[in-house]
Amino acid sequence: METEDSSSENGLLHRKQALYSSLDSCFVIQKEMYRGQQYSQIYFARLHLMRTLLYSLLPNWKPHIQVCTVIGLEEGKECIIVGTLYKHMKLKPSILEEYSKERSATPLVRPHNFMHPDDHLILEDESGRIKVCGDVLLPSVYVTGVVVALHGKETGTGDFWVEDVMEGGLPHQIERPIKSGEDKYVIFVSGLDIGSSTSNPLKFQLLVDHITGHLGDKKEQSIAAKIVRVIIAGNSVEIPRGLLNGQNLGSKDQFTLFEPIKELDIQLTQIAAGIPVDIMPGPNDPANFSLPQQPLHRCLFPSSSAYNTFRSCPNPHLFQLDDVSLLGTSGQNIDDLEKYSDANDKLEFLERTLRWRHVAPTAPNTLGCYPFTDRDPFFVETCPHVYFVGNQEKYETRLIKGAEGQIVRLICIPRFSETGVAVVLNLRNLDCHALSFGTEFS
Amino acid sequence: MFSAEGKLFIGFGSSLPLFGCEIRLPHADPNMAEIETLGILDEIQSLVSDKLQVVSLVLSTCVFPYCKGSMEGFFPSVFSRMSLGVMLRFSFLVFLVSYKWLSRNFLVSSNDAKRLLQDFVEKRGTGVEVVYTLSGWLKTDPSVYHIRLVSKPKLTEVKQEFDENCSVQIYSVQACLPKDPAVLWNAEFVQAEELFKQPHEVNNCLRDNRFCGILNSFVKRNAEEANGTTSVLPVKTTGTSGSSGYTLANQSPTIPQPQQKKIQGTSPNVTLQSPNVVKDVKNESKPAENKLKVPQLTVNTKKGETDKNSSGTGGALANMWGRASAKSKAECASAKTNGISNSAAIADAQICAREEIEHESSDDEGQGVNVRRSYNGEVGRKRRVVFDFSDEEDEFKDAVNLASPDPPKKKSMLDSKRSSYSSDIEKSKLNFEEEKEDKPNFKHRKETDRKSKEENLAFGNHNNMNSSSSEKVINQVPAVDTIAKDKTRDAAPNSPKRKKVLKTRIDERGREVTEVVWEGEEETKPESDTTKKADNIPASNNSNRPSAVKKSPAVTANAPLNQVGKTGSKKAGNKDPKQGNILSFFKRV
Repeated sequence: METEDSSSENGLLHRKQALYSSLDSCFVIQKEMYRGQQYSQIYFARLHLMRTLLYSLLPNWKPHIQVCTVIGLEEGKECIIVGTLYKHMKLKPSILEEYSKERSATPLVRPHNFMHPDDHLILEDESGRIKVCGDVLLPSVYVTGVVVALHGKETGTGDFWVEDVMEGGLPHQIERPIKSGEDKYVIFVSGLDIGSSTSNPLKFQLLVDHITGHLGDKKEQSIAAKIVRVIIAGNSVEIPRGLLNGQNLGSKDQFTLFEPIKELDIQLTQIAAGIPVDIMPGPNDPANFSLPQQPLHRCLFPSSSAYNTFRSCPNPHLFQLDDVSLLGTSGQNIDDLEKYSDANDKLEFLERTLRWRHVAPTAPNTLGCYPFTDRDPFFVETCPHVYFVGNQEKYETRLIKGAEGQIVRLICIPRFSETGVAVVLNLRNLDCHALSFGTEFS
Repeated sequence: MFSAEGKLFIGFGSSLPLFGCEIRLPHADPNMAEIETLGILDEIQSLVSDKLQVVSLVLSTCVFPYCKGSMEGFFPSVFSRMSLGVMLRFSFLVFLVSYKWLSRNFLVSSNDAKRLLQDFVEKRGTGVEVVYTLSGWLKTDPSVYHIRLVSKPKLTEVKQEFDENCSVQIYSVQACLPKDPAVLWNAEFVQAEELFKQPHEVNNCLRDNRFCGILNSFVKRNAEEANGTTSVLPVKTTGTSGSSGYTLANQSPTIPQPQQKKIQGTSPNVTLQSPNVVKDVKNESKPAENKLKVPQLTVNTKKGETDKNSSGTGGALANMWGRASAKSKAECASAKTNGISNSAAIADAQICAREEIEHESSDDEGQGVNVRRSYNGEVGRKRRVVFDFSDEEDEFKDAVNLASPDPPKKKSMLDSKRSSYSSDIEKSKLNFEEEKEDKPNFKHRKETDRKSKEENLAFGNHNNMNSSSSEKVINQVPAVDTIAKDKTRDAAPNSPKRKKVLKTRIDERGREVTEVVWEGEEETKPESDTTKKADNIPASNNSNRPSAVKKSPAVTANAPLNQVGKTGSKKAGNKDPKQGNILSFFKRV
């Protein structure tokens, strides 16, 4: 207290504060355990949730058309069916292929994804499945696991000819309070990759110094004082996995294995000493593989976890700052979508997942996922104001608008170790800009 | 001068980055480095009274002449003013001085440090390479706020790319520009690492971010919790079999607390700062708890193992960090003497002194954690706590003699040597002893040796009181059955002649039971013992077994870590002879 008073007399700045509330409870696995359950339940839960939702939207969409199940389809009769899409993909790697006696003549996999022109979609509900065709529903856009309502009719060949598609659409959004007139910034950073050869520790140090208010003159520090929170969206460390060979490690190896985490802890300590920080696990972090990734254990960060400002969060991370709700992942969901579907840019994937009302539709098909029995935690109930995704190639952002006037800021956070770019979001107006660092002074 | 070598090594290590190699400073013995730093702080503080003068003097007299590249010119000029330790310390940084390093090293704010560097460059900056941070909006892409480092010659050129409102601040000053920018980061990180290694409870500038330009009063740091997480883990794993004993033991430590407070109150430490008093008193509860361990050990004489057990189950990770808190007490002692001897002279030193006191008291806590850990483990095994108020003093002393044949002579030598650093020897010595007198009780068994020494010095009046009272608080006298069981199992791994063997047998209910038993020359006794155990108390036996089996991996994981910490290595040395004795005792029975 004394120090605070004395230093404020010196004209020091005070950091802005924002009200934080975590809504992560749905992503935290508590009592769930593996009892041999399969993934059917999670699809069932998803279909159930989405069907109730889509049924409620039907009267506004096409009230005059009858709804039926796959088994109740009659040839030539127009109707609406609701079900989960399955995308049949020629190139999708299958573990069974390794066991097949004769090598099938499958074409070589293209480097960037498993798409093929022959891919087609199949719609499933509890009663049955039917192959869908038509120009409206493009196989390249959709992936396995998306629940949609289709308007069309069964053809003579037993396919379903699609005339129109309805997705869940952007969920309802709680209105953002416009009253707050002051700028408050949130910093997003991902892919720090501490310990990897590509990362430049000086850049991260500059970022830390900027955030904590060491760097720059008064003017710059006054900007930094408006930063209310730092979000670290995955892949914070790169552990030398070569050391892990199933044997007990020598003390020296333990030390090298552990060194990146310690370095991260040192840096996080500096951040947490000045500003609240959320750290999410990513695909390369020492966390569980399957989504939702559980928070990194506090014992990894003995120093920084002592702060009330330090929060270790699960991987899909949902929280509110001053009534602005933010949802984000460390990038696995989008990376997986990219493997199995096409889009013009990454932001389009982000937008699709929101419109499909599902953060990770490819889980559990091609994306690791905990076998939930009673719910689907990735279902998006309310529309976030900010939707971010970590560990992407480059910084991209866009504002999308929904039919009900929803406004969502989409952000792709680049890998910091490769780009030296962090993203700054202004909570007041959802404006976004990049914060980039360069250290090549000579 | 033994430490000089260590520092010289560092000096040369850090010279490598100058030539473009990317080598982090070798991790010299942390204790050594710490000792050095404290000595230096002391020297600097006594050298000049005003902190700003300190910086400018140091900068102008020793660092920067060297920066200009005259290695020959550096040594004589500095030698005349400073001790070898100080000089070598600066050889560490001569290659570059960043504002942040400066701020942390001389306890000034970052902004002041930048100003100082700027002053320096303006006044005597010829022949020195300067790196600036340039930050602002880019002209080419207005949605990017760019922060970059620029060397002085390129400054104007690069500035063109920025919006005219960009800010230019000095970042570092060095003899020559390193090829790899990461070198700039290196020295700073080494410094941060040093601060990071300090015990959890120390609130240094890394941990409270006190030198930045932005205050955040909402940040709270819970040093307790950090330790709590490490100590809680083993409780979970080992304490399951004896929960009742655990809770009982946990409550009892509150009894001696008032007494402790009193002791603290009479010590001179308290007079310094009122907030400290509160802190100290708070901390007292822990040492009180710690004391419980001492008698326990004498009864069971297997502290080393439980220690290992608990830390083993707690995970090697936590232990790695734990090393920091197990730092030698001697350092803290000297730290304190230094701080106090100077507190009258310099205003700034008060902060330091406070810091160091925290440091010291926290050290107690750090040990407390270790101790608590082992204690909990113990309870888990025993399943029973019995209060016994008989006089255990003699037995206790015997155990100590037996346990540590080599008293920490090195340490005390260090101490005395360091105490001569301070100008006011008398006073410092007093403090030194005073503080010691509280500590040894809470420390591990070996510390009691030192305690007895202090008694000789006639400073340890409280010691007797403390130790005797503590011994009377709780004595665990477990049932013979359980003792025998534990003893055989625990002693076994240490006897080289026997080995672990998996044995499969069919029990009375027709089930196949696979057990790990110790087999070897003396196999008849322990064998029958274990089988008997299995019959008598199968439930507890099963719960105990894993911990016993786990032990050997834990030892291997732990041993190398402990090599750095003094206490650890000593522990390992002491354990063996003692346990041999107990084994033979039970053989006789």
